[in-house]
Amino acid sequence: MQLTPDDIVVFTLAGWKINATIVNTWIVMALLVGVSMLVTRNLRADVPPNRWRTALEVIVKMIQGQIEEVARSSARHVMYFSGTLFLFIALSNLMLVIPGFSPPTSSLSTTVALALSVLVAVPVFGIATGGVGSYLKTFVQPSVIMLPFNIIGEFSRGISLAIRLYGNIMSGAVIAAILLTVAPFFFPVVMDLLGLLTGMIQAYIFAMLATVYISSATAEPDPSLPKHEDKP
Amino acid sequence: MSIDWITVIAQIANFLVLVWLLKRFLYRPILDGIDAREAEITRRMTEAGEAEKKAQAAEAEFRQQIKQLASDQDAVVTQALRESEDQRDSLMAETRAKLAQEQQDWYKHLERERQKFTAQLQRAGEETLLELTRKALRDLADESLEEAIVRHVSARLRPIASELTDAAGDSKEAVATTRDTLPAAAQALMQADIKNLLPGINLRFETDPQQAPGLVLRVGGAQVAWTVDSYTEEFDALLNERMAAGASGRIQPAGT
Repeated sequence: MQLTPDDIVVFTLAGWKINATIVNTWIVMALLVGVSMLVTRNLRADVPPNRWRTALEVIVKMIQGQIEEVARSSARHVMYFSGTLFLFIALSNLMLVIPGFSPPTSSLSTTVALALSVLVAVPVFGIATGGVGSYLKTFVQPSVIMLPFNIIGEFSRGISLAIRLYGNIMSGAVIAAILLTVAPFFFPVVMDLLGLLTGMIQAYIFAMLATVYISSATAEPDPSLPKHEDKP
Repeated sequence: MSIDWITVIAQIANFLVLVWLLKRFLYRPILDGIDAREAEITRRMTEAGEAEKKAQAAEAEFRQQIKQLASDQDAVVTQALRESEDQRDSLMAETRAKLAQEQQDWYKHLERERQKFTAQLQRAGEETLLELTRKALRDLADESLEEAIVRHVSARLRPIASELTDAAGDSKEAVATTRDTLPAAAQALMQADIKNLLPGINLRFETDPQQAPGLVLRVGGAQVAWTVDSYTEEFDALLNERMAAGASGRIQPAGT
């Protein structure tokens, strides 16, 4: 039984083994970018949008609205990052229903990569927003004693993200594979439906958690909280 | 469950590329398009608001113009009514004057016609009277009218012969004027009478077509005459009296 698509080598390029995870990621990327390019070409403000453009606008505005609710700001960079996370994971999970297609998110390498991306994105956005000093100061909040816990918490966030996403997608695939051997004509349909639901939920949760982490790093300090001062 | 770190690196790269691609082909065009459309809608709303304000201003101006036009129209109608009444009065006065003038002209014309008819009637009456008189004299007395006139004038000369002689003065000529030439017998009778009554006075005969039928004898400044005018004047008086009496033509007896 194949648990991860990392083990499936599709082809070899200059000595590098290109596995199914990467190829399927490219397929998902091609779908996302291709549809976007097709719909958003020749956009004009004075022409009423067609139904495809309206659908994309609804999706983008929904993502923007969700991010604004969490981050309470309309920074476009956060939306580019979190929105791409959501669209990539959601489409990957939706493609679970395609027979023979292993979603890239069912690979721990993919989920780790996404979690590492979030892990790196949090300080990057924090530093880009308030500077290095302001970001580093968050590790000693509310006091210096909390420094190791904050560091551990920072890394555990990424690990939990990666394991959560991988576990949900992979568990669904594994359960479906096991039940397929028991009742091959009934359970796969139910599991596919469940997989679609959990896949969308996971995409939403992953993107929202990433947004929360980034927004917590980029948020300005609450003036109502007591200000910590280092005394000599 | 294992982690292929090469795949992890590749997926990170793939993800970053996907972020850039979606930013380039999805988020930015869609959001910019939405912003542009919102700006376009805002611009059009602003333009619509301005156009509405302009329309309201134009409507107010239009209503003011209609009001002004209605006011002007009332004034124009009043003025036109006044002018038409003046013109009507003027035309009526002109028509009345014209009618009065025409009536006056008609009366004049009627009077002229009446006078003309009266003159013609008078002339015809004279002619008829003369012819009837001449015929009556010839039938009853076997005498001509001219000779009777001569004898009548001579009879009127007889009582005033001396006065006529004085009136003649140095003039030794008497002139007998008739409308038509007197017959020779009448001329001879007249010559004889003048010779007896007015000795030394030569008689000369003249004709005047304008003169009434009859005989006029002029001696110096005196004149003795018999013409039908006296009769025709009476005839005219009778005729006018009958015409004035109405269509019946009867003269009402006096005292009735």
